[in-house]
Amino acid sequence: MSIQLVVFALNKEEYGIDVSAVNGILRAKKFAIKNIPGSSKDFDGMINVRGKVNYVLNLRSKFGLEHAERDEESKFIMLNVNEGSTGWIVDEVTDIVKIEDADLQSVPQLICGINANYLKGIGQIGDRMIIILNPDNILTLDEYPVIEGHGA
Amino acid sequence: MSNNQQVQTMGRSVDVSNVKLSDVIDLNFLQKFQDDFAKGVGLASVTVDPDGNPVTNPSSYIRFCRDYTHSTDAGDKRCAESHRKGGEEAARTGRPVVYECHAGLIDFAAPIMLEGRLIGTILGGQVLTKAPEEEKYRRIAKEIGVDGDEYVEASKEARILSKESIEAAANVLFIVANSMSQAAYQQMKLKTVVDTLSDSAHQISATMQELAASASTVSNNQNELNSEIKNVNIVTGKIDEVMDFIKDIADETRLLGLNAAIEAARAGEAGLGFSVVAQEIRNLSADSKQTVGKIKELTTIIKDSVDNTVRMGNDTTATIEQQAAAIEQVTASIVEISTLTELLSELARKA
Repeated sequence: MSIQLVVFALNKEEYGIDVSAVNGILRAKKFAIKNIPGSSKDFDGMINVRGKVNYVLNLRSKFGLEHAERDEESKFIMLNVNEGSTGWIVDEVTDIVKIEDADLQSVPQLICGINANYLKGIGQIGDRMIIILNPDNILTLDEYPVIEGHGA
Repeated sequence: MSNNQQVQTMGRSVDVSNVKLSDVIDLNFLQKFQDDFAKGVGLASVTVDPDGNPVTNPSSYIRFCRDYTHSTDAGDKRCAESHRKGGEEAARTGRPVVYECHAGLIDFAAPIMLEGRLIGTILGGQVLTKAPEEEKYRRIAKEIGVDGDEYVEASKEARILSKESIEAAANVLFIVANSMSQAAYQQMKLKTVVDTLSDSAHQISATMQELAASASTVSNNQNELNSEIKNVNIVTGKIDEVMDFIKDIADETRLLGLNAAIEAARAGEAGLGFSVVAQEIRNLSADSKQTVGKIKELTTIIKDSVDNTVRMGNDTTATIEQQAAAIEQVTASIVEISTLTELLSELARKA
């Protein structure tokens, strides 16, 4: 068996996310992000995608990485989880790759700087090592209380 | 300079061999001087050119000469011959000579020299140093064909002067005439030099004006060139704008390819063919983007080159402006020189 990943860059590292969890990719510069007062600092705000409100999570912030302004190449990866209303801001989407199960490794919990639940494993393509994320665990309702009047 | 036969200046020269007596001495003045001198000292005189032809009217000729000796062809010829001989001797020695003429009178010849060359002779005399010998004049009257008695009678009208007086008188005429001709000659030379100077100043002035005109043409051309080249930069900027647009399309295409790949993956087996197309789309967009990058490198080189050209053009313009200023200064100096030359020319004409 194999999985297909959407590969993206974040602070010069390669991350991957299962294609099935992705709705689509948007160019960040095409959208105006509106701040939501009182929201978590990990959320940059909301955007309007084809008449529908979506929320964007700043993965750099989420993972405690160095802050960077959105630029020409910045992308939103819109996800299937949480009723498809959230996306991530990433530096760049670089590739769509197929990885055989043999090339997948799980991550020992002790060496993880970030919450191990966020990770599904490490994918190897030649010399490349791709950090594969678990979108479900990154966007849990436990961490982000549902805004009144929305979601449920 | 006075040692040369010719005064050489840039364009003109005073050829001393062409200078005539009338060029250096005002003949009216000479006539008056000669008349007054003749009257005052009691010596007849006339001025002749180097060929012996009179250039002034005879002053105070005595009857003996005027009415008798010159009255026949033979007498006239003998007089001319006598004058020629006296003149030649004077020219040879460069000094006034006193001699006895064919008719037995005492004459003098004072040469007028210019740079060692004879330009005329003041002849004079018609006097005696002692009382006339009748026998001698009767013989001469016979020779030239005039009445002997009347000739002898007329000879008695000739003044009797000492040889020293005659020599002194000849010397005065010699000194005055030569000083006048020398001064006038120097003035001619001065005038020639001044005229040449004036011509040169005018030529320089004209050349400077041409230079100034061409400098301003060059300056205008350079300015036009600069603005023309700046146009190239504007066009290059527009190309960059188009390139940005193409890059944007390439980015958009790539995104389309990525999204298509995602759709294909989700379609599972059915999406396999489509995923190949999606890959191709991404490849194409990557190629486009790379090409845009290359073109942008080229337009950057063009921009740098244009900027360099503009900078050099500005340097050139600055240099030309400096040149124009220098030309203006020189022109002003030339105008000053011209004015001075005109003054000098006026002085030379008056002197």
